[in-house]
Amino acid sequence: MIDVQHLTKTYGAFTAVDDFSFRVRPGEVVGLIGPNGAGKTSTLRCLVGIQSPSAGTITIGGHDIVQAPVEAKRLLAFMADEPQLFEYLTVMEHLRLTARLYRVRDVEPRAKLLLAELQLTGKEHALPAELSRGMKQKVAIACGLLHEPKAMLFDEPLTGLDPLGIRHMKETIVARGRSGAAVIVSSHLLHLVEEICTRIVIIDHGKKVADATLAELKAHPELAAAGSSLEQIFLAATSGEA
Amino acid sequence: MVGAFLYLTACSFKNRLRRRLQRLREPRYVIGLVVGLLYFYVAFFRRSGRRHSPADVSAIAAIAAPMQFLGSLFLLGTAVIAWLWPAGRPPLPFTRADVQFLFTAPVTRRQLVHYMLWRSQIAILFGSAIATLVMRPGSLAGGWTLMAGLWVVLMTVRLHLMGVALRRLSLVAHGATGLARQWLPLAVVLGAIGALVASIVNAWPKLSALAGGDEIFSELQRLAGEGAAAVVLWPFRALVRLPAAASAEAFWAALPAALALLALNYVWVLQSDAAFEEASAEHAEQQASRRYAPRAAVRGPGATPFTLAPDGPPETAILWKNLILVGRYLSLRTVVRLLPLIIVFAVIGRNQAAGGVTAAIAAACLPLAALAVLLGPQMMRNDLRQDLARLALLKTWPVRGAAIVRGQVLAPTVVVTAVAWLLLLTAGFLGGGLTQGSREGSAFAAHRVSFLAAGIVLAPAVILSQVVVQNGLAVLFPAWVAVGASRSRGIDAMGQRLLMIAGMLFALAVSLIPGVVAAVAFAFVAYQVTGVILILLPAFIVALAVAGECWLAVEGLGRVLDRTDPSAVEASE
Repeated sequence: MIDVQHLTKTYGAFTAVDDFSFRVRPGEVVGLIGPNGAGKTSTLRCLVGIQSPSAGTITIGGHDIVQAPVEAKRLLAFMADEPQLFEYLTVMEHLRLTARLYRVRDVEPRAKLLLAELQLTGKEHALPAELSRGMKQKVAIACGLLHEPKAMLFDEPLTGLDPLGIRHMKETIVARGRSGAAVIVSSHLLHLVEEICTRIVIIDHGKKVADATLAELKAHPELAAAGSSLEQIFLAATSGEA
Repeated sequence: MVGAFLYLTACSFKNRLRRRLQRLREPRYVIGLVVGLLYFYVAFFRRSGRRHSPADVSAIAAIAAPMQFLGSLFLLGTAVIAWLWPAGRPPLPFTRADVQFLFTAPVTRRQLVHYMLWRSQIAILFGSAIATLVMRPGSLAGGWTLMAGLWVVLMTVRLHLMGVALRRLSLVAHGATGLARQWLPLAVVLGAIGALVASIVNAWPKLSALAGGDEIFSELQRLAGEGAAAVVLWPFRALVRLPAAASAEAFWAALPAALALLALNYVWVLQSDAAFEEASAEHAEQQASRRYAPRAAVRGPGATPFTLAPDGPPETAILWKNLILVGRYLSLRTVVRLLPLIIVFAVIGRNQAAGGVTAAIAAACLPLAALAVLLGPQMMRNDLRQDLARLALLKTWPVRGAAIVRGQVLAPTVVVTAVAWLLLLTAGFLGGGLTQGSREGSAFAAHRVSFLAAGIVLAPAVILSQVVVQNGLAVLFPAWVAVGASRSRGIDAMGQRLLMIAGMLFALAVSLIPGVVAAVAFAFVAYQVTGVILILLPAFIVALAVAGECWLAVEGLGRVLDRTDPSAVEASE
């Protein structure tokens, strides 16, 4: 569903992502992890068409994000770490706008279900200024989920959520994976990645340093000595520490 | 503590200045600075070097008294509105950093008030200096008296508005108890308003019998100088007298009263017991979260302009979204702000028109329609000039860039066109007696319907072309255009804006040329064949040509938008 081949992203002389390739199949939940400045955000922004790759190709459901952006984006949902809402649209109006843009016809029943799933029932007519940071995050996620995307990208999905919200968010992500969506979760919360991801891609200095399931990583000859937790493996893979 | 506040204010000023100097390493700011300085030189310094002729001096002397009267009325209006109309911002608009550092520090409320007064000095001094340059006093003596006088006026107004806002806050917080505590200022304000209303009511038979604006103005001036109205207006006149002083002697004579008013307001503000911290902290948070939001405060949710069908072109969805924005930030306050302009045009119109009140309204509507067409697209920014700040979000939508641009330019075009049409139609229906009295006027009256129809056809085309140009500049030069609520400040930023306005006017002129040439050629041929001067058909030709150009421009801009990197849209300071 998501196919990234030889992705390179440069900013002037600085190379943020360097010849990065990976695939996410339907039903997979892939954790994209890396230290600060590793190239995760640049990768995600290229994946969703916010930025153009300097080299390489990205296809979503067979549609090249550069050559056929509209078709590719129709299959995609991107949940950014900082929710960007329109200050003058209510929650329900955000959903109606999203429905129109993604050609979702039965917006009302879908919105009702999503709002209930994300504990936003009763907030339909609230403006963003009346919502907490976590609720805004949920609205952005509701908009992302509304068109039942085949490929989903979560950037730090738990930021600003309360414990119950965190639990629901994890369930939401896992449920989408199980229902056949290809999901990428980018996060610094390694326990989250360890808990919900079926495969892990580690990126450092713009390059892929690991791409395997947690079990495979634990069995990797160079990483096995680091320990059994993802945190130990991550530190070993990115800095040589254990 | 004063030292700490001074340090904070001075360091902030110094670092802001340093940052503005540092940004001059970028060519666009250097070019902007050159243009801005050139503008200042041409607009202010070059002219201020000239000596006034005796005719100028006598003309200035003749308007001094009316200007003082108008100035005092303006100050009165400001004070009354501050009392009657809830302010959209707290009495002390602290920043988030202020809240985090100062509210948690061992600082008294009075010290916080002093800090805000310190901080406002830079803006007030700069404003006074600029206003002095604009008004171009005849001599150096006139320069310093004007600037010092303006400082006293602005500072007194600032203190008064702060005091009013603090009193309002206290009233809200304490309810009936607050009312009991604030009875004296409330009684003074209500008494003053009552005295003015009574003066007008008493003089109404005479005022309504007067024919022209000049006579009404003279009578109002006379009324303001006697009885209770004179007492009510005294503080405002006393303040205005200071910057309006024609000589140093007049300035010194007016100074004690003005300083007394300043001191009175200062003491009044310091005596306030209003707990402003919560409102200020909330406002600081809102300001931070609305960095890229509409400039005005968003009101509560209300009716949407139309029901968005689940299916259809994305342009309609973007239009729907942007029309919601208009409905939620336009308020009664916006309309009230336009009232003085409408009244001025109506008074002028009444002087020139022969048809009484209806003709006066019509006379006000015509120039307002022209203003709406020419300035509306710059003021109505519910398009990419707002949404470019959310380019990252727009780029995740499965919508072509051209469709996004098309959807974005629709809302300001629709709104400004509706306003222009309303004004034109009002002028058309009520303007029967408007142009009688001259040969040209009679000719215009004979073809009133044709001119009106031509205006209705041309208005949306001219508005659309301006909106497309404005959005085009935002897409092509995102770093040059103020995006969202953020605004760069400084002479260099002002120069940039002047350049962008020049670019906009040039592009608008170029966009009109093909249509106008075709329309003139058509009208000429038609005249040669039929002997009739056509008005409406050439207007259609211009409108169609402009619409075609806009369509092509939007397609091109859409391609550019597809390639635009969100990082190119930089945040202003």
